[in-house]
Amino acid sequence: MTLASAPAQAGIDARRLGQIEMGDTLAARNSRLAVGDNIVVRIRRSEGSATYQDFQVPYQKWMRVLDVLNWIAENKAADLAYRWFCGSKMCGTCAVRMNGREVLACWEAAEPKMTIEPLRNLPVIRDLIVDRTAYENKVAQLEPWLERREPYPPFPEPLNHKQMKDASKALDCISCMCCYSACPVIGLGNLTDFAGPAPLVQLGQTALDPRNDPDKVKRSLQLTGIFNCVSCYKCEEVCPAGIPIVSRIIEPLKAKAAQLVPGMAKHSFALRDIVAARGRVDPGALVLRVQGLRALANMSRLIRLLVRGKINPLKTLFKIKTAATEAAGRILRAGVGK
Amino acid sequence: MKTITTDVVIVGGGAAGCYAALNLNRSGIRTLIVCKGLVGKSGASLFAGNLVISGRLLGNTAENASNTAEFLIKYHNQFLIDQNWARRCGQWIESTYYPELEEAGLYFRRDDAGEVVTSPGKIRSVAANTQGNSGVPFMDLRRKQVIRVGIPRLEETVVTALLRKSDGAVGGVFCLNIITGETVVVAARAVILATGYSDRLHKRSTGTREMSADGIAMAWRVGATLVNMEMQWWHTNDIADPPSWQRMQVYPNPMLGSEKSARMVNSAGEEFFNQQQDDPLAFGPYTVQLKALAKQVRAGKARYDGGYFAGFDHCDAAEVDAYTTYGKTYRQLGLRFPEQLVETAVTSHYRQGGIDVDTETMRSSVPGLYVAGGLGGHSNGLIALATYDGKVVADGVQRDLPALGAGALVEQDVEIESRRLDGLRNSSGDGPTPLKMKERVRALMWDKVGVEKSDAGMRSALDEIEQIRLDLLPGMRIANRGTSANYEWLDAIDVVNMIDACELIIHSSLERKESRGPFFRQDFPLTDNTNWLVANVLKKSGNGMKFEQRKYDLPIFRPDFATKDNLEVAW
Repeated sequence: MTLASAPAQAGIDARRLGQIEMGDTLAARNSRLAVGDNIVVRIRRSEGSATYQDFQVPYQKWMRVLDVLNWIAENKAADLAYRWFCGSKMCGTCAVRMNGREVLACWEAAEPKMTIEPLRNLPVIRDLIVDRTAYENKVAQLEPWLERREPYPPFPEPLNHKQMKDASKALDCISCMCCYSACPVIGLGNLTDFAGPAPLVQLGQTALDPRNDPDKVKRSLQLTGIFNCVSCYKCEEVCPAGIPIVSRIIEPLKAKAAQLVPGMAKHSFALRDIVAARGRVDPGALVLRVQGLRALANMSRLIRLLVRGKINPLKTLFKIKTAATEAAGRILRAGVGK
Repeated sequence: MKTITTDVVIVGGGAAGCYAALNLNRSGIRTLIVCKGLVGKSGASLFAGNLVISGRLLGNTAENASNTAEFLIKYHNQFLIDQNWARRCGQWIESTYYPELEEAGLYFRRDDAGEVVTSPGKIRSVAANTQGNSGVPFMDLRRKQVIRVGIPRLEETVVTALLRKSDGAVGGVFCLNIITGETVVVAARAVILATGYSDRLHKRSTGTREMSADGIAMAWRVGATLVNMEMQWWHTNDIADPPSWQRMQVYPNPMLGSEKSARMVNSAGEEFFNQQQDDPLAFGPYTVQLKALAKQVRAGKARYDGGYFAGFDHCDAAEVDAYTTYGKTYRQLGLRFPEQLVETAVTSHYRQGGIDVDTETMRSSVPGLYVAGGLGGHSNGLIALATYDGKVVADGVQRDLPALGAGALVEQDVEIESRRLDGLRNSSGDGPTPLKMKERVRALMWDKVGVEKSDAGMRSALDEIEQIRLDLLPGMRIANRGTSANYEWLDAIDVVNMIDACELIIHSSLERKESRGPFFRQDFPLTDNTNWLVANVLKKSGNGMKFEQRKYDLPIFRPDFATKDNLEVAW
């Protein structure tokens, strides 16, 4: 064991860009209210005549969304249903949407005007309580556990933090569902087979762990529909645990999938090959490569794309190159070999 | 009403409950977990900041091992512990606990060179991924293990009563699913209570929403013997103001990868506690800190509910951030980290006492009823100790199971409980809401049964409890008569348990006529090893209670004085 020197914390946190300029920090939000000010709260209810119910709540020092809900339950609406256990950012059960963004009620500062709603993408049971079953089932289906290929050596086994860098980020997950609610692809419902950010983070805990059997990881990844992720970073933006979900979990998992289950990454490989060969994105070639002749079945769509100039069959046919071809080829072929 | 039949039903989804379930399941015994919250996501286990290394693992010396034992027996339990159990537990932690967890995938934090990162000092600790947050990956692993082997769970389901068979043995539980409002009876050959030790009975407390002393109250109702209920631990370093931030702690224990830890400063700006200098073992400082604080309170330089400060202003931020989560609260509150200190106060934390058990089997005094983890009165909890109990109870139940019949439950009891719950849901008096009742109970416990106790204060508390029970409880008012996600209903169920548990705690506190560790009596300030190095055993006798004393075996450590001012005792 060592008393290791502290690693330097450097670099820019992309998710926080612009927050200070916009006054969007917790300290700033807290300072917008003085003790005794009235907070105007509008809560989505699931019973009664009004869908939303309004409350006036006196601001108290360092008041959080959860404190506001507790105050309302204690003083105005004893029947308000909201879930919480630990009240300190560990159990991850109190997530709600506040003014349109996902927050952990026990961690987020109250704002002068708040609309509080249940999370999206999960059925509402009552008021702010959602049914977590669909998420739980997805996680269980991915079997996010360790299967060892080698027998376990005596404690402590050989392992270093560099090997666990990404997995250890995933271990900060408190499965609060903020990302699951914010994810636009999950919002598409059954149109895709995407498992969603939260289940992927749960899987990442062991799938990005070097101790796991690659065959096991492969089986799990096949069930994720991970290439439906559009890397929009919504999940990262709302994660109360500050997990870089796209950059440190989903992207490494995609890389693993491309390596272990290349068929899943057909679209990505095709895109890369086209850009490498031609120095540009050619949607026509991409569709042909991914969908094959099936693409021709949807004639009306093809014509629409043609009219709008999105595809150019001649350029596709003759594989016309651009000035960027050489550079693109050099970068892509060297950088992503597998 | 729906009845589920199984071999063993476990009440509680924390470290002890999950491990008991996993062990029983491995032996082919049908097991079901009922959890008031979500298995692995509620209760106290989630709060484990780090994991204490017991013995020679990781290059620890024989001296380290001895220190850990000394810490456990003296500083963690003030000698009110079965030392033979402690020895068995320590050996098991070393031989089984750490390897089992790591083999299953728990990540014991390494540095980039591959060394396990520990705290310095006479006792070593490690973290699961990050110090301050170890309970999260730990319990997440347990949750997944339980799911993986297919152990059935009834979650967000509160057990409201233990049910007995005609021979008097406990053979089932009455459950209410809080989300759906459905009631279920689980019939089993054995019931394991593992509801934890950190109940929210005081105005300031680390206990969470769902922790309301249900295990104590239900066990007492079926006649289980209790022990050392007065022994309550306190945190000294939790955020003072506003009280809603009270569960955010300025964790005082040694930090991983650093020689420093949080320090405490009084209202005059004088440092009065610094882990590295002021605690002989540099670990398990809660009681040592509390004593240091009591001296400040008496000198008028702090209050138990605030007026003193804690923080890391003598550390580098990078040093604290390297392996711990301790900076998160400061940053969230917009305080400058680490240079700013934060006002802190005391909160009630672990309850050291609990249900009296045979530590070889975890049997309670009632046939069919077993206990695991912090709810037991045999030792103060820690996540490793609670886990060991999960193993011991699984072994004990497995051994006893052939003798535990599957006899029918007393039907009348099921009906009575069903009617009681309906009655609570239809509470239509003109009195306070259940939440206001909870506040009232917590306020009286804080004011009259807080850190410093006296005979007069506690007797007045008993009068108030009686008044709440007889005058307020019947007039309780519930707004929502629905059954789905009706938390008012749950609060009403909790209040009844809280009142019963508080009464037992107060009576036990009156009975122990000394001060010991975190148990301060103004009218008995001495630690009295001549008369009170005993278990304070509380038995049910008819409708009343009867106290007995039981001596402890002291095979490893024994105190070196007869009587001494408790504030001058190191532990």
